Amino acid sequence: MFIPVTLSLLEGMVTTLKLFFLTLLFALPLGLVISFGSMSRFTPLRRLVQTVVWIIRGSPLMIQILIIFYGPGLIFGLPLLPRFTAALVAFAVNYACYFSEIYRGGIQSVPQGQYEAGQVLGMTKPQIFFKITLLQVVKRIVPPMGNEMITLVKDTSLIRVISVYELIWMGETYIKKGLIWPLFYTAVFYLILSGILTILLNQCEKKLDYFK
Amino acid sequence: MSILEVNHIEKHFGPTKVLNDISFSLEAGQALSIIGSSGSGKTTLLRCLNFLERPNGGTITVKGSVIFDAGNPAMQIEKDIREKRLHFGLVFQNFNLFPQYTALQNVTLARELRAKKKNDESRETILQAGLTLLDQMGLADRANHYPHQLSGGQQQRVAIARALALHPDILCFDEPTSALDPELTGEVLRVIRSLAEQKTTMIIVTHEMAFARDVADQLIFMDSGVIVEQGDPKEIIDHPKEERTRQFLARYADN
Repeated sequence: MFIPVTLSLLEGMVTTLKLFFLTLLFALPLGLVISFGSMSRFTPLRRLVQTVVWIIRGSPLMIQILIIFYGPGLIFGLPLLPRFTAALVAFAVNYACYFSEIYRGGIQSVPQGQYEAGQVLGMTKPQIFFKITLLQVVKRIVPPMGNEMITLVKDTSLIRVISVYELIWMGETYIKKGLIWPLFYTAVFYLILSGILTILLNQCEKKLDYFK
Repeated sequence: MSILEVNHIEKHFGPTKVLNDISFSLEAGQALSIIGSSGSGKTTLLRCLNFLERPNGGTITVKGSVIFDAGNPAMQIEKDIREKRLHFGLVFQNFNLFPQYTALQNVTLARELRAKKKNDESRETILQAGLTLLDQMGLADRANHYPHQLSGGQQQRVAIARALALHPDILCFDEPTSALDPELTGEVLRVIRSLAEQKTTMIIVTHEMAFARDVADQLIFMDSGVIVEQGDPKEIIDHPKEERTRQFLARYADN
């Protein structure tokens, strides 16, 4: 029984991984855009972005998945998005908001003196960003980003509310067949995933350890 | 002809006037010290010269040509300002070295970026010049150290080398020893003194009265955004004419 269960759980894990990587692919750049919005000197834009971030971070991701999947149909009579697509949109937007705050913290923690030192040496704004501040920002945001990514691995299980067959869903199907252990066994898969992530992130931190 | 002429510089932040009608001139090869209590506008004046702040009034003339005129918007285009900045070098109070670069890379970075655009200098030349500068600062053996591996005094000397790398006409120091432990100020002051002996044109904002008296050719005492007294450093420090200067110097003597 062990091997067939493992294989079918792996099948569920493919969906989990797909959601994980696609969420990162969209949320990482989108988060940067949102962080620029939340630091904008144009007050109406800044307020708007801050409000959106508040709503997204302040309400449960599960509700957001439900709203994006059912909302357009219920409110506007539009056809439903494919389940996985709806889930991906909800995840990308949600995580982009969390990332944006991490970016903002990272960018604002680079001392003003770094920009000024670049300026008095005649550097252009892009030169200052790419040659001076970027790496300092990256160094500062690796630990909090790692935290979010590990949370993301486990949050993927939320998409079963719109019946996307991910890891936990696969584990649950065995309950009907009288087997309870496959459900608990799914935790091992999450542990392995977050274990790999932890190792990668640690290496990343070590690589940036040469400066303070 | 003076290398630098500053005329009627004004700067306000909102309703607060930080600089009021500041005028002075500086000859090539001379060192000017600016003293005054915190909040007197000394640092703002330096920041205006380096265009980290834009003066609201007045003109700045370097080597006979007007590089800034507050009344002329055409002289305030960001791209031109970037070039004009290079007439001045600035050494910050807290060094502001780039942490992810070695001492040598800190010195060469800006020049390499410029050479890449203009294609006028080889990397080899720039590296050699950087090493020579670090050697002059007594840091030849620290070229490949990162800032966090250096003491405050060493970091500040790297910062001086970095500012010199682009051959500014006038080198500005903003309280270069104020962030240092007392036992480290000497090495930095020695470097500045040797620059003065090599006839580097400098403006030094400082709280080190004895140093200013010794090294500077000219002294300015500022208070509440105006120049109260300017002239020969020994004359002003030993025989201040103005009451405000006397009070300021007396406070320093007490400390």
